[in-house]
Amino acid sequence: SIPSSAVPGGNTELLQEEQQARSALRESFLRCLLSISNKKVQFHMHENVKVEATFGASDIDVLNFQVSNLHTPIGVQKEALIRCQDVISFTFDV
Amino acid sequence: MPHDWLLLGPLQWFSYVHKQVKVKLGRDEEHRGWLVTVDPVSASLVLVNFTERGASVRVVMGHAVEEVEVLREADPETTELLCTYFLPLETPKLDP
Repeated sequence: SIPSSAVPGGNTELLQEEQQARSALRESFLRCLLSISNKKVQFHMHENVKVEATFGASDIDVLNFQVSNLHTPIGVQKEALIRCQDVISFTFDV
Repeated sequence: MPHDWLLLGPLQWFSYVHKQVKVKLGRDEEHRGWLVTVDPVSASLVLVNFTERGASVRVVMGHAVEEVEVLREADPETTELLCTYFLPLETPKLDP
């Protein structure tokens, strides 16, 4: 997993700065995820595969996305979990 | 083998916020956009491009990133747009 700190131990001032940056970045990301709840999203997977679904939520570690109405080549899956490892990027319009 | 992007850390990621960046993924795939934020948990980037119809947002998963290059700094107008786009107008009630 990605280390939560890149600051060497002992430097408390820098560590505080780093933690402030970390929480600002995370809050921004969570607000972004909140804004796409129930919106149509296109997932770009490996091998240039693109699938469309309605975004539900992410788990805390951004390992899985919960989606609804996932359009796959073999039909529409009402509810599904997509592994983030399988996703390269995903797009949506605001 | 994690790419350097994953190891930069919050302070360095924060320095990319509101800049226009070019993100290189594997297989010659490239995406550009204004950086809204980087998730410190997954190192995923949130990029936005403004179109006539509104905004197109792309979230690039951290594990797919090979390189991130800064193209230009944000001007005050773009920063204003970027700051207000994801703020909910009303905080939703999370209590049932």
